[in-house]
Amino acid sequence: MSAPITALLDGETVTAVAGEVWSALVGEGELLLPGLGPVAPAVDGPSAWVTVTGPWDGVVVLTCGASGTADLTRSVLQLDDDEQPTAEDVDDVLRELANILGGNVKSLLPGPSALGLPETGPAPLRAEDEDTCRVSASWRGHDLAITIQGASEAPAHHTTEVPK
Amino acid sequence: MRALVIDDSRAMRRIVASILEGFGYETRPAGHGREALDVLEEGWVPDLACIDWNMPVMDGLQFVSAVRAVPAWRQVTLMMVTTESEHGQIVKALAAGAHEYVIKPFTADAIGDKLSLLGLMPVPA
Repeated sequence: MSAPITALLDGETVTAVAGEVWSALVGEGELLLPGLGPVAPAVDGPSAWVTVTGPWDGVVVLTCGASGTADLTRSVLQLDDDEQPTAEDVDDVLRELANILGGNVKSLLPGPSALGLPETGPAPLRAEDEDTCRVSASWRGHDLAITIQGASEAPAHHTTEVPK
Repeated sequence: MRALVIDDSRAMRRIVASILEGFGYETRPAGHGREALDVLEEGWVPDLACIDWNMPVMDGLQFVSAVRAVPAWRQVTLMMVTTESEHGQIVKALAAGAHEYVIKPFTADAIGDKLSLLGLMPVPA
């Protein structure tokens, strides 16, 4: 069994990774501000996540405050301000953000690992606190949370990747 | 010049296509490797294919191997555009026949630099 995620990553690193993803995908100059305080507040909104399977097994979850999902989708898809994104667009954008976050987190973990296909829905159940790294952030005043949480057993891994 | 943009994310297809069209490319989207092979089989053979790795139905590595197995598609330049950044994965993709590798997140400049290296930057009319 691998070390818990808190021994492999810290919140500052996760925030830095997320900031890079934001700038590249959401838009140049779009700032993801780190949340204040040591405890991340609950974020009420949809989640997207991707599984990581390897020496460390778990999920990387992005949760976006309900108020921010439409803005976020418009920004990524470069839609007009008055254009209402479809639910499918919102899910797709959240999934891709979670996918890229997951891939970049995976690159910081020890050993070869596999990334699953991203999914959306209610966030997966939280793991033990000691195997959870959770950071809160804010984009254009909308709350976001990124949670990297271990799985007690290897998570379901939906991928077409050929096993090594 | 023509480019096939293969990614299961519509958002990512749109972003990559928008960058390539900005450089002067004509683009077509595909949601996975099998759909991309269908495009090639119907005769729309691009100069460049930008390929995600993890996709349903047929992943990027399987697509690269399938394209490389067909002599008539040998001129297609294959560029992986993916979150898979482990050295072993990059080596595997290049060994299968990919020419270049771009890790997400990327910038338009990064794509442009790769195209210039490959000699695939369209000359303005």
